[in-house]
Formats: sequence, C-alpha cells, structure tokens
Amino acid sequence: MITFRDHLRILDANEDLLTVAEHVHWDEETAAVAVEALKHDCKGLQFTSTSGEVDLASGIYAGHAQISSRTHQPWRRLKKALDREGDDYVQLLEAVSRRNTRAPDDIILEEPAATIKSSSNPASLGLPTVEPNGRQQITLGLIAVEHEGMTSWAPVRGAIHRRSQLRLSVPQPFIEWCGDNRQASISLGIAAAPLVTALQGWTLDRTTSAVPKLAAALGETAVVDIDGRTVPADAEVRLDGSIIDVNDGVSGPIAVWERGCETVGVTVEVDAIATREDPVVPFIPLGAPLTDDLHLTALVEAAELYRRINGYWGVSPVSWIRLPVEGRLGLCLVSSEILYSGFEWQLANVLFSFSDFFDKVLILDEHTEPDDLARALDDMWVKAHPSNDWIFSDPNAPAASIPRYRRDGQTGSRLYINATWDPQWDEEYIAPRVTFENSYPEDVRELSLEKWDNLDLKEKSND
Amino acid sequence: MTVDSLRNYLQRLDEKNDLIEIEDRISWNLEASALTMLANEQDHGIPLFEDVDGMRLVGDPYRGSQRRPWDRIAQGIDLPRDISRQEFYRETISRLQNPRDPVTISSEDAPCKEITRVEDEVDLLEFPWPYIHAGDGGRYSNLHTLVVSDPDSDWIDWSYHRAMMHDNETASVLLLAGEQTPNLFYYKYEREDKPMPVAIAVGTEPAVQYTSVMWIPTGRSEAAFAGGLKESPIELVPCETNDLLVPATAELIIEGEIIPNIRLDEGPFGDYFGYMHGPRRSMPTLRVTGITHRKQPIIPFCVEGTGVGYTENSTSSMEVGCVGPDATLGLQAGGFEIDQCVPWSSTPRGAYVVSTGNTDPGYLHELANFIFTTWGMLHVDFFVFVDADIDPFDQREVLEALVLHADPDSDFHQFGVETMPKVPLNIYQTPSEKGNVQTGTSKAKTAKAYIDATRGNEDLDTSTVDNDLQNWARSILEDAGAKPDMLPFTDSAQRGGSR
Repeated sequence: MITFRDHLRILDANEDLLTVAEHVHWDEETAAVAVEALKHDCKGLQFTSTSGEVDLASGIYAGHAQISSRTHQPWRRLKKALDREGDDYVQLLEAVSRRNTRAPDDIILEEPAATIKSSSNPASLGLPTVEPNGRQQITLGLIAVEHEGMTSWAPVRGAIHRRSQLRLSVPQPFIEWCGDNRQASISLGIAAAPLVTALQGWTLDRTTSAVPKLAAALGETAVVDIDGRTVPADAEVRLDGSIIDVNDGVSGPIAVWERGCETVGVTVEVDAIATREDPVVPFIPLGAPLTDDLHLTALVEAAELYRRINGYWGVSPVSWIRLPVEGRLGLCLVSSEILYSGFEWQLANVLFSFSDFFDKVLILDEHTEPDDLARALDDMWVKAHPSNDWIFSDPNAPAASIPRYRRDGQTGSRLYINATWDPQWDEEYIAPRVTFENSYPEDVRELSLEKWDNLDLKEKSND
Repeated sequence: MTVDSLRNYLQRLDEKNDLIEIEDRISWNLEASALTMLANEQDHGIPLFEDVDGMRLVGDPYRGSQRRPWDRIAQGIDLPRDISRQEFYRETISRLQNPRDPVTISSEDAPCKEITRVEDEVDLLEFPWPYIHAGDGGRYSNLHTLVVSDPDSDWIDWSYHRAMMHDNETASVLLLAGEQTPNLFYYKYEREDKPMPVAIAVGTEPAVQYTSVMWIPTGRSEAAFAGGLKESPIELVPCETNDLLVPATAELIIEGEIIPNIRLDEGPFGDYFGYMHGPRRSMPTLRVTGITHRKQPIIPFCVEGTGVGYTENSTSSMEVGCVGPDATLGLQAGGFEIDQCVPWSSTPRGAYVVSTGNTDPGYLHELANFIFTTWGMLHVDFFVFVDADIDPFDQREVLEALVLHADPDSDFHQFGVETMPKVPLNIYQTPSEKGNVQTGTSKAKTAKAYIDATRGNEDLDTSTVDNDLQNWARSILEDAGAKPDMLPFTDSAQRGGSR
C-alpha cells in the first residue's frame, strides 16, 4: 500500500511536488495559494511554514486539467496513490468498480503511526481556513465509528469550533447506522484507498458499511485498533472523541461529495489527538476548480456508474464513463456501443436515474478514447446534429445537484447529446477520423517515422 | 524589420530555432504531409521541405501550440513571440481599426514575377502540390489567397478556398454558396454566363494570408486591412492575363478564370472537422491562364484535420489568432457590448465563445440573431455566451460555466430548427442532406444554437475575487518553482500583490 506519506515522497521524487517554504498563514492564505496552483495545473503543494503544528498539503490527489493537453491525465496522481501505475483509465475504473472486499482476518493490523500528544488541542494544529474569517477546516479525512462489532468509515467535512469541539458534516445514512455508539475517530492524512472507499460506502445512498474491508481490498490498507474501532494505521493526525450532538448541518463551502447524499451535522468532542512526527495534513480549498474532492468523487461515481450500467442490460456495451473534473462533475461522458436504434435514449436516461450530480450527458462512440477530452468535446460540437442530436427532456426532471440553477426545488429539463454515428447509416457514410494511422498507408508511416527519428530534434513537451 | 514575405517569416522562425529544415528528398505524395502531421502532433518546429522534386514545401507554417495558438501568427505581424493573448487581441484589433491602402508596383519590382508563364506555357503540375491524406480526391493547394473582383463595383475580395489540381491547366475550387467569393460567382458571374477572373496567390506574406481568413465585411478591402495588420501598405502588382492585382511578394501566382456552368470533381478531403469528408462533389472549374512565381518557390500547405483536439494547424491557429479578433471587432462595431469573441480553440470554426458584460436574455437573443445572420456564420453552429469575468480562451472555465450555469430548461436556444442555412461539409449530415452541385449548398437546413452560460440571478456567485491576494498567491507559487508560463501574469507589475 502507498501511504499518504509515501505518496508525498513519490510525488517529490517525480518532481510533481512543489514545496512552499515561504511563510504562508493557514488563515485564508494557504487556500488562496492552493486555489491558484490547482487552477493553473501546478504540481502538488506542500507548505512547510504555516504556523501550526502540522505542515499542509494540497492537490495531492488532484491532477492537471486535461482540456489543453492530452498528456495531462486528471486521474494521474490518484492512480499513483492507489498504486495502479501501469493502468490506463479503464483499468483504473474497473479496479475501483469491482468493489471487492477483504476478509477481516486478512486485514493487516499494525501499530498506529501517530501517537497521542497530551498538550494539543485541535486549533493548535493550524488547519487552514478556506474563506475569510472562517474557522479551521477539516476537508479531507474520514470518521470511524464502531457499531455491533463492526467499524465503518465515512467522509467528513467541517470545522473546529470550540477548544475541543468539531462540527462535521457526515452522510446521514452513516450516522443512522452508528446507532447509539458515538465513540469516533477522525483520521487526517491517510492513503487514497480509505478515502475512495469511504466515498463508495455512504455517499449517494449506497449504505455499505464494509468500508474498511473495501479499502483493504483496494489498497491493502493497514489498520489499527483504537478502543474497538479499526482506523487507518498510517494517519498523520487522529482525533479521538465522541459524537455529542447530531444537528441540522454545517455551514461553509461544502465538499463535492456532499452534493451526492443527504448529510447531517454532528458535534464531536475531542478527547485526544495523536500525531506522527512532522505531520502533514492535506486540505481542499473547497469550492475551487479541480480540487481533490472533485477528483476522488469523479472516479468513485464514474466507477459506480460503469459497474451498474454494464450489468444492467445483460451485456456490457459501455467502454468507459467519465465525469470530467473540468466540468465539476456536472457533465457525464459515456462511450458506448449503440446496440440498437434508441439505445442512446435508454443509456442517457439510466445515467440520469443512477446519479444525481449531472443533468447533461454526452454520448460518444465506443472507440472514442477516454483520455482525449478535447476530442470528445469536439465531437459534441461537430458530430452531434444541432437540430436532431441535442435532446431535451420535458421539464419534469428534478434538479441535478452540481449545477447552480434551480436550487428552489423546481423541476426542469435534462439534456443528452448524441455524438455517435447513426446505426442506420451505411458503413460507407461513416467518416473516418483524420489521424496519422488513418491518413497514410503503412509504408508511408514507417518511412516518415524513420525520417522523423533521424531529424535529431530536441525533446519538446506538448504541454 | 517588417515581415513582408513568407520567406522573411520563415527566416524569423529559423532565427528562433523554430524551423525544421529537411534536406532529404521528400515526396509530395503523402510523405510531406505525414511528416507535417507528426510535427503538428508533437508541437515541434515548422517543417520546411527543401527538396520536393527539386522544389520546396512548407507544412503548416502558422500552426501554434494548443496553449498559445496565436504565437506564430503574432510573429508574422511583428508582434513579440511571448505576447499575452489579451495583448495580442488588443493589438490586432487596434491595427485592424487602422487599415492602410495598398500600393501598386511594377512587374519588374515584383518578386512574384521572377518567372512568368502564360497560356500554352502554363503547367500547373510542374509544382509539387501535396497529396495530403490517403483518400483525398487529389492534390491540393489549400493555404493561399483567392483574389476576385466584384463585377458591379471596385471591390476586390480576398478569400480562402481550397483548389484540387486536375491536370496541367485545370483545378476545381471549393466554392460553397453563402460566403463572399462563391456568392459573387454563383449569383453574379455565372448568372450572366461570364467567367470569373481569379488569381490564387500562394505563399503570400503573413498579413495577406491572415486577412484572407478573416470575416472582413462585404465591400471592404482585405488589402487595406492587411496593410493595417502589417502597419505598412501591401505591395500589389497586376496579373499578366487579367486585370486583377495580386500581392507582389507572393511565392507563386496562379492566374485564371472560373468557368460558368462547368463543374469538376472535388474531394473527398480530410477536412477541418477532423474527419475524412465525402462524398466527392462537383465544384466550379478553374482554367489556368498564367503562372508567375519566384525562383525556387516555397509552397505552403495545411494538413487539415489535424487542427482539432489537442493539435493545432495553420487553419485552427488562424481561426483563433485572426478570425477571433476580427469577429470581436465586428461585433463591437455592430454596437454590442462584448468583451471578446473567441473560437473554441480545439474545434476551429464549429463553436465560438463570447464574453459579455450585458447578460440580459433579450440582449443575448439579439446578439445571437445578429451573429447568425452574418455571412461568416455558415460554418459556425454554436455560440456560448459567458460572463465578462470568464476568460473565453480558457476552455476549462467555459466548460465549467456551461455545466454550472446553462440550464437545459431555459438556456439552450436552437435557432430555426431545420431552417438555417449551412455548408455541406458538416459530418453530422447524412449523405442525402449534403451536396447541391449547382450552388455548393447543403440540401438540408439545420439549426444554429446559442447557449447562455452566464450566471442568472438565481445562481449568482457571491464570492468575490481578491486580486491582490490572487496575485500574491501566484508570486508565492512562482517563488516556489512553479513555471511562470503556467501562471497568467500579463506583466511584471501584476506580480506580487500585497499581503
């Protein structure tokens, strides 16, 4: 398994981590720098001088926007963090969509990497604020609670309120599952597999409590026993305590996963804080483009849709599904074989049925490549007939959760764009793409490549 | 020094180590194009083929990179290579607002007259016109300026229409009704059964090439706008076999006439949409009456079809770098409060983005109505309107605006479903909808659409951007080692901000 700390080290070794040594205050400034880094496709960030007890990191699981360069794979850092280095996007999608579990006996039990510090309180950690005059935020972590001998994990987002209290937003089904047992641990600075599976477990009403077992299968996550709860062993920071109140909600900018499930607010009284030596805590400048929560949720949601749809009709027509982080998950791209006339309609509408995030679907031919976002969007503009292939539903659909319009509960329309060839067209009418492979016979290609190689050109990046 | 010829422009590229001179003997038969496609895909320098049957070809000389599609265009009009996109737009628009009339020089002083052949001496196939994609209908000249005159006025029109070579003295020219030059042919010359005198200027100076692709209003002189872009008058010279004036520093001039009521096959061709476009259609016939050229002419060509997605070519870069500023100026001159009009950079000609401060729905409807009735709109199916604080060049920002703010219920406006005109090149049309051989129009009509991706009242974003904090944050990143070109500082004064 690649721990969070290993992941930072690997990013650094691959020159994909930028160390900000200059003093940057956790109060709003770190978030401002993180926002600019994400917006402009910078490397991951580690802040090493931020006043608090922890160093901060951002963009650790986020990747570059692909809209301007095919070499940018938005899922690249996440793939690395899940130790799926050789996989292409579809293999990554399949790995996450399998939802395998690992038996409890096989889960690796270790000593906790973090140790209890008697003098700390949550505010001394120096977690970043993400809005002016805001409170210190917990933006990328999970909560662990034990219930009837089983522990489950769920994503959390929230803030430090009083000296020893946290106000956190948590999936409502998770809190219902917890029952009366309210002893909890909040883990920060953990590997990608627990984060991915926490999102798989409780968001979008999946209500799967076997989250640690899913995490163990996805990334051989090591766990530790804390008062009967199994929590990720390698957490940089762990806050142990109890849920003392369940209330309506938590203010402030929300994480994208919160748009995909019902949430409740909980108040956690922190009894103990454990940290590693020189702890590093990742954070998300919530509400900004291309953030880690977008990347994590995009992968989880696409994998879930891929799994469900490819089993839906008894066959597996879908090549891949993407919720581009560049569009904040409000647009779904699906590449599929068109099984029969009208299948596009079924495909789009089953996607709408299975996900609340988006109300726009772009359907692409089965041979469209998943790592070619620019070309997919080009097909939207040039291959879908503006009269016939932009299809709007009657205005009776519930509002999607990502877009900013229709937040008043009103129904409205959905849109799917059919950028596939009409299955009724004869083959001779199908225009082949202009590519090096399609446009030149093999002997010309070979000769050209040979001559090109002999030109002794300097390496040049297409970025 | 002013860039006053293609050669001069290529020399500028060479000085910046941006020209790949290929000395090996290269065939015009797909090979030059294949190598150019590799250069385009890998964003390398511009390939100049020194020995193509003893002559010279240059592949996609105006191609930019996906991040900076305007950068080589800028060099062609003496703007700095590292100019920001906002500055490039501002400067280009400013120059277009100051056109300069051309001057006429004598044939003796015109480089394009170094060698002259007329009538029986003409041999079109003497030159290495490239065969660009396997499956093309033939060999093409497709990066040039077509010069024609209005029979009813003094107006001279420059335009950009490809020509497929047929034999030593004939070619077919893609004239699609609805654009300026085809309209002159179909609705003036041909109706009078008159041949249309034409000249094709190949390898012109950059400013001439740029204005040929712009949407210069009918009746205005592209030559004067080219002079504005260049900031000095374009030199013209009379043709040998007709009365047209042509750019004197061009590499090669094909003189001739487009003959009424005679058509020749044209296409298929790997087109700017990125697909191999068919079927073979009939197009007007060019009969060549004279060819003049410089010694050892350099013939530029464009590998169409590569300028979509992540790869640029000359057409797509000129769309961003030339048509964008021109369209911005045109809409502003039409009285509309727009900030910038920018092509969707990976989809040349298919979709445009307009940023505007006035987002009133009625206003946007009027703006769209104005846009879709102009002659330049035949190729464009979609306009996306975004708020003025969205950078229309930044496709991520535009996509985000489209997703977050364009309500399928109320913000997608299909103009005239099945009633709008269009060119027959769009690949979404069925074969039966394409081609009308008489006028080069589509049999089928279509819809145009605009998408209102501006923030409505209900989705007002209450967060405000603190510019000082933003600039300070960027300077922190730059100090930490982030590549400066990733961060959108436009000048050093913006760097730093205050904390």
